Order: sequence, then structure tokens, then C-alpha cells
Amino acid sequence: MTASNRLPAKTNEVGRRKLTLALIAAAVCVGPLAAWAQTQIYDSKTHTWVNYDKKKARQYYARNNQAPEAFRMQTVTFRTAEPPGTIIIDGNQHFLYLVQPGGQAIRYGIGVGREGFGWAGIVRVGRTAEWPTWTPPVEMVARDPNAAKWAAGMPGGPENPLGARALYLYEGDQDTIYRIHGTAEPWTIGLDVSSGCIRMNNDDIVDLASRIKIGAKVIVLMQGAALYKGV
Amino acid sequence: MAAMTSVALLGACTPPTPPAPESMARTTLQTAPADLQLLCANSAAGVAGPNAKVLPTASRQLPDGTFGVDLDAGGKKFSCVVDNNGTVRSVQPAQSG
Repeated sequence: MTASNRLPAKTNEVGRRKLTLALIAAAVCVGPLAAWAQTQIYDSKTHTWVNYDKKKARQYYARNNQAPEAFRMQTVTFRTAEPPGTIIIDGNQHFLYLVQPGGQAIRYGIGVGREGFGWAGIVRVGRTAEWPTWTPPVEMVARDPNAAKWAAGMPGGPENPLGARALYLYEGDQDTIYRIHGTAEPWTIGLDVSSGCIRMNNDDIVDLASRIKIGAKVIVLMQGAALYKGV
Repeated sequence: MAAMTSVALLGACTPPTPPAPESMARTTLQTAPADLQLLCANSAAGVAGPNAKVLPTASRQLPDGTFGVDLDAGGKKFSCVVDNNGTVRSVQPAQSG
């Protein structure tokens, strides 16, 4: 029997209310409540927009062995003054654009930071790596037992959460700790799932890494998220 | 009357035009397209100064079909309106309060 079970009903109610308020305060203090949005995909059979959550995404990937068409690599019209080679990330809509000449961009589907882990800012690609080692940050080791066992580093490979390539994002000469990388969970493209990194299908990150130059500007748009202010 | 009823029934049975395949995903948060947000940022850079880093922080569709974009230029806030053709209609310092 727990301590709370021994309390009279009224005291229990007050305790619950206090706990609820404390949880709300904690949630507000942990970080800005990003404008949370539900991903939806169009169902051609029912002619309706349906919510696309983790469960639906797993089912879709199991059936089709790829993400929905909108999240697959494609060339789109993109009107911008940014020079070709610039990477623009629309975190809210789960797209990464690589600016091309002639008012076009290559668009890839991405997975982004879950609620409270999103961010926005202007950074650059500091370096890249093939099949990188993944070393979880200290905060992740503290909160995630799966990450804790790789505190000393997980070697690159198909099970490594950084996938086939990683683009390390820097502000000036400072590593932001954020990366654009591949994934061992390709069904998560289109969802808010990460701890702030931008994840892509392995084929897509290999393609992107082959096209970009070190130093490329990266603009991360994420409505409701905190602006990146350094590590 | 019969003709009108038939047309109404036909309309009821005709499925809505589906979006293009590349547009078959969205989120319930209806932000401005990323390229339009950045056109606003580019225009604001001209106002905020040549070295200003201008970042769109929020956006929304306005009742007349244009998009409102909020911008941050190193702490200075700007509001921008851009239309679907990519024409920036206005950029001005954001009103506080």
C-alpha cells in the first residue's frame, strides 16, 4: 500500500491537484511549449486527411517499405534569394530543402524533435561523417537507459541511430550538438520523434551528403520552438 | 427540378479533387510555405541591416489568402506580409503588447 492510498479521500484529491499543477509548471519550465501539430496524410481511398502517428507510420512502412510519397525525395519549386547549396529545414511540415539553381529545390522528408526538443536557428555544416559513431549526450544518458549503455560510443552500422551519414551542425566554430543524420527507424520520417536532431532515410542522407559542401548554410524553421542560443 | 436534383446528387457523389501526390502530407499547424517565410526574412534583412541574421519564428495564413510571418533579427522583431506569388507586401517593426 502506498502512502497516498492511506490518506483520506479529501487529502488525496488536494494532493492530486497539487501534483497536476506541479506537472504543468514543470512542463512550462522545461522549455517552451512548441506549437504542437499532428502530421496528417491524405487517404486516397476515403478522400480524407487522416492522422499519421507512430502506429500508422509503422503500419504504412510495413506495407509499402517506404514513407508516404510526400516524404520521398523530389524536386519542387522553391522561390528564394538563398544561394544554391543552402539547406532549409521546415521542421513543422517535416521537409528539408536543398536549394538548387533556377528557383528549385530538392525536397526530402525528415523526422524532427519531439515536443520540447525542437529548435530554430541559422547554423552551418561543420563536418560530415560516413557511418558515424553515435555518442549520446550526457543528458540523454541520464534519462534514457537505452542510450546509457552506449555512453562510451556506439560504432557505426545499420542499428546505429545516426544511420549512414551525419552532417554536424556548427554555429561559427562551435559544434551545436545537433546533426542531420540517417536513421535506423525509417518509418519515423514525417514525425516529431527526435531529441532535436534532424533525421532522414539513409538513402536520402547519403544523397544529401554527396551534394553539399562543408560550410553550407542551414536555416532551421520551427514555429513555437526555442531559438538556438548555443550549447 | 429533376435536373437540379440530379446535379445535386452528382455533386454529393463526386469525391473531392485529391491533392497532388507531393502535397499529400501536412500538419494541423498551417504555417506559410518555407520559401515564402524566407522571402520575408530576406526583405527584413534590408531593413534590419546587411549583417543581420533574420529568422522566421512564426507564420499563419491571413483571411485574404496572404501569409503573415513573424521575424527575429537578433532580438528585433518584425512583421511581414507575403502573398502566394512571392511578393512581399510589407515589412515593419512588430508592435509590442
